[in-house]
Amino acid sequence: MDNPNHKNFEQELAASLSRGRSVAVPGFADRLVGAVRADRRRRVVIRWSSVATAAAACLVAVLTLSAPSEEALNRQTFALVAHDESAQFADLLGASADLSLLSPAVEKSSVAEVLNAPGS
Amino acid sequence: MSQEEPTLPDDEDDKRLMALVAEGDDDALRLLVHRHHARLVGYLRGEVGSLATAEELAMEVFIRLHRAASRWRPEAKLSTYLIHIAHNLVLNEWRRRGRKPTTALEFAAEPGDSSQQSARRVAELDEAFQRAIAQLPPEQRTAILLVVQQELPYEEIAEIMGVPVSSVKTWIHRARSRLRELLKDFYGNE
Repeated sequence: MDNPNHKNFEQELAASLSRGRSVAVPGFADRLVGAVRADRRRRVVIRWSSVATAAAACLVAVLTLSAPSEEALNRQTFALVAHDESAQFADLLGASADLSLLSPAVEKSSVAEVLNAPGS
Repeated sequence: MSQEEPTLPDDEDDKRLMALVAEGDDDALRLLVHRHHARLVGYLRGEVGSLATAEELAMEVFIRLHRAASRWRPEAKLSTYLIHIAHNLVLNEWRRRGRKPTTALEFAAEPGDSSQQSARRVAELDEAFQRAIAQLPPEQRTAILLVVQQELPYEEIAEIMGVPVSSVKTWIHRARSRLRELLKDFYGNE
């Protein structure tokens, strides 16, 4: 046999819950469309930022890979140092431009004599 | 020859609107929201207890729906899909809070009876039911809300909760027993 308390319970549970089934919120749809538009803009910004970051990373990679190797840099440095030494030697002689013009025709020993001569 | 546009059933109309939403039609989104938000907020308020939180979560459900619009396949009813997203958000909300929503509920009774005494009893009962439901374990609460409040079939509830139908039936049976126990002052011991 049906227990009247049981029946009441079922009926009142259903009645109570069904009263809260729908809760219409005024202006909800408008607020939501606003939120969706903001979300759409935010995602566009994020997408373009990602593209820009990826492009920048590619550019850096290209520049890095096309730069001279360490060995090449070393060679260039040694060449420069060697060039500098010859320039210093010419400076020591006092008339680097003249000497460099004459140097093919002048003996090393005569240069030394000129340098060691008293009063030079 | 006059041709009246046939009235589409809700599901078909939802599919049509979702296709438009996927193309970025905000008016279609507004219509979908208008159609579904009240029941979604009702379900969420039953779950979390607070109308403000229910509104926030419902907003998030529709934002997620909008993001997924282009990938959405109409394999299930849109209302089922919405409650499925809502249920997952509720689970996240509980995890985030680190506790279940068992605090006092904001509940405003809507007495439909002209008698004040009867209206008071309705309000008392509603409050008692809401408090009792808030004390149920989460899966029992979700199951009883979906079957009694939203009047969904067991199969749909199982789909929403991602569990077998047998689990849903068990949770609903346990929820009813627990509610009767919690409301024994109103219904006596059976």
